[in-house]
Parts: sequence; C-alpha cells; structure tokens
Amino acid sequence: MNFDWSVVWRNSDALIEGTKLTIILAVTTMAIAIPAGILLALMRLSGLRVLVWGSAGFTELFRNLPLILVIYTAYYILPVATGFSFSPVITGIVALSLNVSAYNGETFRAGIASIRKGQSEAAYALGMTRWQTTRDIVLPQAVRRVLPVLASTWVSLFKDTSLVSVISVGELAYNSMRLRAQTYRVLEMLTAMAAIYWALGYPQAKLVDWINRRYAVTE
Amino acid sequence: MNTANAKIVRRAEGEPVLAYRQVGKRFGDLVALAGVSAEVRKGEVVCLIGPSGSGKSTLLRCTNGLELIDDGEIALDGKLLPRDWNGMRRVRQRMGMVFQNFELFPHKTVLGNVTVGPRTVLRMPRAAAEKRALDLLEKVGLSNKAPSYPAQLSGG
Repeated sequence: MNFDWSVVWRNSDALIEGTKLTIILAVTTMAIAIPAGILLALMRLSGLRVLVWGSAGFTELFRNLPLILVIYTAYYILPVATGFSFSPVITGIVALSLNVSAYNGETFRAGIASIRKGQSEAAYALGMTRWQTTRDIVLPQAVRRVLPVLASTWVSLFKDTSLVSVISVGELAYNSMRLRAQTYRVLEMLTAMAAIYWALGYPQAKLVDWINRRYAVTE
Repeated sequence: MNTANAKIVRRAEGEPVLAYRQVGKRFGDLVALAGVSAEVRKGEVVCLIGPSGSGKSTLLRCTNGLELIDDGEIALDGKLLPRDWNGMRRVRQRMGMVFQNFELFPHKTVLGNVTVGPRTVLRMPRAAAEKRALDLLEKVGLSNKAPSYPAQLSGG
C-alpha cells in the first residue's frame, strides 16, 4: 500500500481551522451546559412540582435520544420553530448543549445529594437562607465532588463534537472527511484526524486529573 | 485543678429565656418527645442528659427549628417560636448551635468557617468579619490555624 502523507501537510490549513472550530464547539457547549446542568439539578431538587417535572422531562428526553438524532432534529426544527435561520455552528451548539446539559443535570444532582444533610443544617443554624446555603455551602462542595464526572463528560463531548459534521459544520471531522473524499487519501486523513483528536484529548484528561487532585475536598 | 470552681452556682433569675411546655414530637409511629417541659434562665448552664435515642438531639433540633414540634410549645424570650421558615431563620441568627460532629464546612478554611455566618447572614464586610474572627481565634489560641482547612486540624 502506498501512503502519501504530504496530503496532510498540504491541507493543514483546513485541519487547523477545523480543530479551532472543534475547540470552540466544545468550550461553548460546556460553558452553556454547566450552568444549565446546575439549574436543572436545582429545579429537580426544588420540590416544586412544575420545576421538578420540567427538569426531569428535559433530562429524560435528551439523555435518552441519540445525539445525532438531536442534531438532525435541531437542524430541521429550529428554523421552523423560531422563524430564524441559524448557522450550522449555532445549531450544532444548541444540539450539543441540550444533550450535555441533561447529563450535567444528573451529575450535579448526584453531587448535591451526596453532600450530607448536616452541612445544610449547620448553615441553616447560622441563620442562612436556603439560597445562601445552596450557593455558599452545598454547591461548592458538590461541584468539587463531581469534577471527575464533569471531566469525563468533557472528554466525551470533545469527541462528540464530530457528530455535528452531519449538518456540515466545518469542524475537524467534517474537514477531514471532506479532504478524504477530495483526495482519496483515506487512511492518511483518518490517521491525521485521529492523531489530532488524541493529541488534544489526552492532555485534557490529564489536566482534569490534576485539577481533581488539586481541588479535591477532603473530610 | 481548682475544685472550688467546680461547685454549681445557681444565680439564674428572672423570666426564662427559653421555655418548653409539654413539647411532643413524633416521627411516624415513633414518639421521640412526649410532654417535655423545662426552662432555661439567663446565666444558666443546663445539661440535657439521657441515654442514646432518648430525644436529646431532637429537642435541640426542635429548639432550632430544624424540626417542627407536633405538640406543646417552645418560647424564646417569652415569644413562641415561629413555625414558618423565614421567621425561624431570624430566630436562628440569634441562637448558636454546635452539631454533634461539628459540621465544619470542609471547603472553607478555619477563617472562612468563622466568617461565613457574619458575612452572609449579617452582611458584615469581609475585612470587618475577618478582623473579628481573627480576634476570636486569637482568644482561643487558634489564630495560627486560620488558613488551615478542617481536614488539617486535629479533632477535639
């Protein structure tokens, strides 16, 4: 078999552009999905029926649909539902955020539930309100406790951004696939794509391990 | 040790600060408190003694409003304890409570643990709260532990 690796270098611009967009997709999605996940968890634990059902309904819907289906659906439904036409990038971010928010909601819910009751009671005993207790006592501990889970969600998300290539978002997977089709250099392009995803993903996983050790709450 | 100080001196007088009248509390079928009556006056140190499961903590939790009583009444400074969350919260701001296993906040330093109450509840500015906290820590010989986390302290 003949390999022509020069195809990778000749098309490095497209690969770099794709990589940039992949990073933007992952960062933006997570920036939306972390507060959204916290909100979903607080709604779920609020005890107010409407909020509990809203949160549970959202979570169970988007956690149990294949991401690729959500992406396609967002692509076809969003413009009709809102009357605006969104760029593929925005559509992709919406779809990814729906999925990751649902996962984060469950992550934060577990984290909050894992903080023992005495901690919030101690805060109440100081005269703190429920919101102050949640904000200053429960959430900071819960977030630290779920960092490893958020980290694996992040690592998954980083790779799952490749799914938005199906609605022609020019991120790393889309550009690699396009180059593969144009140049017929299948193995070279797939290898380059794999190398880039891995090279970016591995240090992230390691960084998160470090963050986790650094900020772990010891009791 | 100076044994002369161990003598119990009762110099409490006047109206009770805290009064329990026929307090009752149930958890489902379990009767935790039944007909508890007691009074605490200013200057008094009162010990609640009893075997495990006899309701000592329950009585304290009811006093602090972490549990609501089912029967009887509890009065603080002659006023019945409010039964709503916000009213009880204002009472708690004036009532200190130490938990069985301390319930220090593990994500906050010693200084953070001492200042979180004044800062969030009394809205004391950070600098003032920290100054007061450091003075108090100094008083109990813990000022050198101000930047430590609870996990770094020895128990007891």
